[in-house]
Amino acid sequence: MPTHQEPALRTAGLRKVFGDHVAVDDIDLTVPAGSFYGLVGPNGAGKTTTLAMAVGLLRPDAGSAEIFGVDVWRDTVQAKALIGVLPDGNAMPERLTGREALTYLGLLRGLPPAVVAERTDELLQVLELDSAERTLIIEYSTGMRKKIGLAVALLHAPRLLVLDEPFEAVDPISAATIRTILRRFAGNGGSVIISSHVMALVEQICDHVGVISDGRVVAAGPLADVRGAATLEDAFVGLVGARTGGTEGLAWLTS
Amino acid sequence: MAHLLTPGPAAMAQHMIRMRLALMRNSLRGDDATNLYAGVSFGLLLALGTITVAVLWPAYLPLALAVWLSGWIFGPILIGGGNEALRPEYFSMLPAKPGRIAAALLAGAFAGPVPAVNLIALLSLPVYGWRFGPAGVLVGLVAAVTTLVTMVMISRVVVALIGLFVRSRATAAAVGIVTGTAIALCSNGWAPVVAMGVTDTDAWSEVFVRVLPSGWGVAAIEASWPFAIAILVANAGVIALLLAAWAVLLSRRVVSAARGGVPPRRGTPRPFPATGGARAVAAKELRAWWRDLVRIQLLATAFSYAIVTPLLLITIDVWVMVPFAGLIAIVMAAASSANLYGADGTALWLTLMTPGAERADVRGRQLAWLLIVGPAAVALSLAGTLISGETWAWPWVLGLLPALLGGGAGIIVLLAVTSLVPGTDPHKRGGNPLSTGADETAETSLAWLVLCAVPATALPAAGAILLNPWAGVATGVLTGALSAWGLGRIAYRRLENHGIDLLNLMKHGPAPQADKPTTADLPIQHRIGVMICYTIGWLPLFPQGLVPMVMKIFGIDNPVWFLALHLPPIWQWPVIIFMIALGLLMYGYAILIPMRLSSSSSATSG
Repeated sequence: MPTHQEPALRTAGLRKVFGDHVAVDDIDLTVPAGSFYGLVGPNGAGKTTTLAMAVGLLRPDAGSAEIFGVDVWRDTVQAKALIGVLPDGNAMPERLTGREALTYLGLLRGLPPAVVAERTDELLQVLELDSAERTLIIEYSTGMRKKIGLAVALLHAPRLLVLDEPFEAVDPISAATIRTILRRFAGNGGSVIISSHVMALVEQICDHVGVISDGRVVAAGPLADVRGAATLEDAFVGLVGARTGGTEGLAWLTS
Repeated sequence: MAHLLTPGPAAMAQHMIRMRLALMRNSLRGDDATNLYAGVSFGLLLALGTITVAVLWPAYLPLALAVWLSGWIFGPILIGGGNEALRPEYFSMLPAKPGRIAAALLAGAFAGPVPAVNLIALLSLPVYGWRFGPAGVLVGLVAAVTTLVTMVMISRVVVALIGLFVRSRATAAAVGIVTGTAIALCSNGWAPVVAMGVTDTDAWSEVFVRVLPSGWGVAAIEASWPFAIAILVANAGVIALLLAAWAVLLSRRVVSAARGGVPPRRGTPRPFPATGGARAVAAKELRAWWRDLVRIQLLATAFSYAIVTPLLLITIDVWVMVPFAGLIAIVMAAASSANLYGADGTALWLTLMTPGAERADVRGRQLAWLLIVGPAAVALSLAGTLISGETWAWPWVLGLLPALLGGGAGIIVLLAVTSLVPGTDPHKRGGNPLSTGADETAETSLAWLVLCAVPATALPAAGAILLNPWAGVATGVLTGALSAWGLGRIAYRRLENHGIDLLNLMKHGPAPQADKPTTADLPIQHRIGVMICYTIGWLPLFPQGLVPMVMKIFGIDNPVWFLALHLPPIWQWPVIIFMIALGLLMYGYAILIPMRLSSSSSATSG
C-alpha cells in the first residue's frame, strides 16, 4: 500500500520522441508528498508531455512514473484512483452541462450518488459555474472550461492534483479562488503539481519548483534552493540559458 | 481521502447509458432534433422493409442483412469516424481496467436510436424463423440480439482502427481508396457480377451472404439444433474477441499522442515562394493539401471512385466510361473540396485581418485546387481515351475537360463562401483524424450540390460539341475560364462583404435567430422526404435509368436486375425514361425545397 513516506510523484528516465524531435529527454523528477510543486519552462520545453506521461495519458518511450509508490504504467488503475488531472486542451463531453458532466464522471468513479450530488453542488458554487446551469460545455469560454476541468479533477478528492496550466485564460477573481482552493488542499495534506509560465505566480504559491528546458530538467528542488538570492524569473532566465531579446533589430517598428 | 472503488460492471454500464441519454437529450435542440427524427423515421422504413423481405422474399434476407452490416462498416468511414457521443478520452482518468471501460462504453453505444432501429430490422430473423417452427423463432430471437451486438462491435472496432492507425498520408489515402472503391461498387458493382455470370440462386453467393457476420443468424435458423447452438455460441465468442480487441485499441488510443492527424515531417523545409498575393496563398494551400489527412483522404476517395467505376464496367466489355475517368475525377474532387473554408476553421481571421487579402485568398485556393486536380485529371483523360480506343470520345473529353476544371474551380470557392458548413477547428480534431467534426448531413448535401452544379457548368460545351465537335473544345475552354473567373469573383466579393459572418458562423455555429427559418424548420414530412430522396434518388437515376439505357444503346441483353430490361421491348424505353425522370425529380425536390425555404427567408429578413 502507498504510504505518505513515498513521494507524491517520482519519474525516472522519462523519454518521448515525436518523429525526429525529442520532446522529453530522460526526465527525473521527485515531488515530495504534501508539496506544492511548480513545473516551469519555456514554450515547447516538454512540460505538458512530461505531465501527460506522469499521469498515464501518454505512453512514454522509456522510463517510469510512480504516484505514491504506485507504478503508473504497471498498476494504472490504482494510480489513477490517487490523482486528479487537468490535462492541457482537455476533451470534455461537450454536449453535457457542467453539472451533468460532473455527475456522470463522479458516478463512473463509483462515488455514491448523494456524495456526487453534494460535491457537484459545492464545486459549481465555489467555482462560480452554477450560474451557467443550462449552458453546455461546448458553449463555455476558455476560462470556464479550465474551471470545469478543475472541478472534474477535484471531484473524487484525490491525494495528488496534476494541473497543466490551471490559470491560463482564467480571470483574476477566479484565479484567486482557484489559488485559495489549491492552498487549502495542500494545507490539508494534499499534493499539487502545476505547470505554468508565470514565474511570479509560481513563486507566490509553490514551495518546490522544477525547471525544464529542451526536454531536460535543468534545476529542481525547494523554491529557495532553485532561485537562490535572485527572483525566480532571473534564476529561470539564467538556467534555460536564454537572454531576453527585444532590444536589437526591429528598428523599422519605431520609425 | 482518495476513493479507490470503481463501480461494478453493471453499475458502470448503467451510468454510461444514462450519460449517453443525457447527451442525446441535450442535443435534441433545434436542427439536431429534426435530423434525428428524420433519420429515425427513415431508418424505421428501412427496418420495416427488411422485415417485409423476410416475409415476401426470404431468399434475399441474408443479402438485406449484409446491407445493414455494410452500413455499420462504411458508415463511420463515410461520415468521418462515426458519431462518438461517448469518447474514450473522457474516461481516460477513471481508475478502471480498459476491458471494463470498453464494456461500459459498449453499453453506452447501444443507448441510441441507431441500434434500436437496427434491432427492429433484425426482428426479421424471428420472422424468418417462423417458417421453421417455434424453435426457429427462438433461435431467430437470440440471433437478432447476437447479430446486433456483433454489428455494433465491428463498427466500433473499425472506428477505433481508423482513430489509431490513420496517422500518416499512406493510411489516410488507403482509407480514401477503400471508400472510393466501396462507393463505386455500390453504384456499379453489378457489372463484375454479370461478368461472372452469377445468378441469384448460385450456391456460392448464397453461402457467401451467410458466411458474413450478418448472415450467421439465418444460418443458425436453417441449421439443425446442435448446429444452431454451435453457431450462436461461436457468435458469442466472436463478440468476446471483438470486445477484447476493442478494449486494447481504446487503451492504446487514449495513451497515444493524438497529433490531430498531422503526418510526421522529415527532410529540409520547402522553400517559400518568392511571391505575393494569390500565388502565395496557392503555395500555402498546396502545403495544406499535402499535410491535412482529411483532404488527402477525400482526394483519394474521388480518384479511386473515378478509376474503379470504369474498370468495373470493363468486366462486361463496356469501355465507354474509360475516356471519362478523368472527368468523373474532377467532379468528385470538386464535391469533396466544397467545404474549403469550413475545413480550415477559424483561421479565416488571418485573411479578414489582412486588408484586401480576400481576392488573393479565393484566387489562390482556386489555383491550388487546379494544380492538385488538374494534372492528374488531364493524364487520366488522355490515357483513358487512348487506351480505350474510343476515338469518338476525343471531342467530348477535350471539350468537357477544360469546362469541368474551370467550373469546378469556380463552384468550389463559391459554395465554400455561400454554403459553409462549420466544423471543428483542425487543432481541436481529437481522437479521429479523419473527422472534421462538421455536420455530416449538411456536408453531404453540399457535396451533392457540387455534383449537380459542376456538370451544369459544362452544359454549354456539351451542347456545342453536339453541333460541331471542335467548336465544343473552344467553348469548353471559354466557359471553363469564364466559370473560374466569374464564380471566383462572386466568391471573393462575398468574402469581402460577409467574411465576418462566416468567421462567426465557424466560431459560434449558426446564430439562433427566432425570425429566420432554417432547414430544421421544414415540416417534418418534407425533411424526411428530402432525406429519402438524397439517399435513394440515385437508384432510379443510375442503375435503373442510365445504366439500362447505355446497355440498350450498346445492345447488351443481360437484364440482371434492371426492371426495364425485363419488360416487353415496347415498354423498355418508357420505363427507362420514367426512371431517369424519377431520379432527377427526387434530386430536384431534395435540392429545391430547402433552397426555396432559405430564399424566402432571406427575402423576408433582408
